[in-house]
Amino acid sequence: MELVTVIPRQRLEGLNLLGGPTPALTPPHRATLPLWLALLLKRQRRANISPPPWLHPTSLSAILTFETDHAGAAFSPPPRLPPGTTSSPPFLPSSTVDAAADALPYHWLELGEILLEAAPDDFEDPDAVRRLMRDLRECRMAKLRAGVEVLEAGGGFKMNGIGGMEVSEGRAFIGGVIDGLRKIGASREQQRRDKEREERENGYTATAGDDYDDDEMDM
Amino acid sequence: MDIDDILAEVTQAASPQETRDLQELTRAWVAERVAPEILPYPDALMERVLERIRKQIELVEEQTGNMDPKTNFRLIVIQTELERFKFLVRSFLRARITKIDKHPLHISQNSLSYLSQSESRYLTAHQTLLSSHYQSSFLSQFPTSLHRLDDTTGGISMVDAPDADTAVFCRALNDVGVVNVEGTDRAFEINRGDCWVVRWSVIRDSVLAGDVELI
Repeated sequence: MELVTVIPRQRLEGLNLLGGPTPALTPPHRATLPLWLALLLKRQRRANISPPPWLHPTSLSAILTFETDHAGAAFSPPPRLPPGTTSSPPFLPSSTVDAAADALPYHWLELGEILLEAAPDDFEDPDAVRRLMRDLRECRMAKLRAGVEVLEAGGGFKMNGIGGMEVSEGRAFIGGVIDGLRKIGASREQQRRDKEREERENGYTATAGDDYDDDEMDM
Repeated sequence: MDIDDILAEVTQAASPQETRDLQELTRAWVAERVAPEILPYPDALMERVLERIRKQIELVEEQTGNMDPKTNFRLIVIQTELERFKFLVRSFLRARITKIDKHPLHISQNSLSYLSQSESRYLTAHQTLLSSHYQSSFLSQFPTSLHRLDDTTGGISMVDAPDADTAVFCRALNDVGVVNVEGTDRAFEINRGDCWVVRWSVIRDSVLAGDVELI
C-alpha cells in the first residue's frame, strides 16, 4: 500500500476500508491516500496527484549524478529509515510530498512509471522526468549486470538501495547463478562442513548430510 | 528509552490495526512466494482478515440496491479494495498449496504444524487418494518391499525436500549481527535496512523471528 499525496477536487467522506480508514477529502486540502485509490480518483478527475519530491527533475538529476560519479559499483543509498518502526516498503510514506528528495525509494521505478502514465499533467515537465528515469534505470541495470561477476556459491551479497523491480528482474538470474555454483561445489563444501562439525563435536559424522550430497551430485 | 523509541511508539500507535494487518499479510505473502519451504500459517492474522472481508462483502451486498450516486461511488471504492484484498489472500494461499503439492511427504513428516486445518486436511486427503491410485494402478504388481513411497533406505531418500540453501533476497528490519554461512568462509554483518542476497538456511530463523523480511 504505497501512499501518495492528492489534491482533491471533490468532497469525499472518509471510508472505512479493509486496509484502514481513509481521511475525508475536502478541497483544496491535501490528503494522503493509497496509490490505487489516488489513481482511481485521478482517472475520474476527482483529484490531482502531487508527485513525490524525488520525482522532480532536479532531484532525479542529482541522484543520477551521484549514481554515475560517486556511488561506484553500489546503488545510491535508499531513503533513511524512520527510527524505531519495523515498517518497510511499501508501507513507508516514501512517495508522499513529505518524502526525502535525495533518495530513490524501493518502488521508485514502478511508482514513477505509474504516475507518469496516469497523471502526466500533474508533472511540471513529464518528458524530462521520463528521460531521467530512463537514464537512471539504464545506469542501475548496468551495475546489476556488472555485479554478476562477483557472485559465488556462498551467497551473502549486499544490495542496499536495490529497487523492487530490479529484485524481480535479477532474482531468477542471480539466484540461479548462486545456486548453480553451490551445486557444483557441493561436495567440497559438504566435506568442509563435516570436518568442522567433527572438530566441534569430536568424532561425530552426520550420515543424513552425506545422502543429501550424493543426491545433488547425481543431478 | 530515547527520543527514537518514543517516536516509534507514537507512530506504532498511530497506524490502525487494519493497516498493520495489511502490512503483515503483504509480508507473509511475499515471504511465502520467495521462501523455498512452507512457513507457519499466520492463524490469528488470517482469522482477522477473513472476518473483515466477510463483513465488507455483507456491507456491499446490503448497499448495492442504493442508487444515490454518492453511495454508489463509495461502493465502487470499497469493492475495488475488496478485490485487491481477495487477490492478496488468494495468492498467498495458492503459494502455500503449490508448496504442499510439491513436497507433500516432507511437509507431512516435518512441518505439519505449520499448516492450517484445511491445508492439512487437503494434504492428507490428496495423499490418500494419490497412494490408493498408485496402489491400484501399478504398485500392487510390485514386490511388497517396493511398495513404500517414502523409502529412505539405500542412501537415497524418496522424500523430496525443498532446498534450504536456495539464495533469497531479504531486507533486515532489525540489526541481526554477524552471520556465518556454514561450510564456506563467508561471514558478514546484517544491519537494519540492509538488503542482502543470502542462503535461506542462514536467515531462516531471523525471518521467522521477524527481524528479516524476504523481498
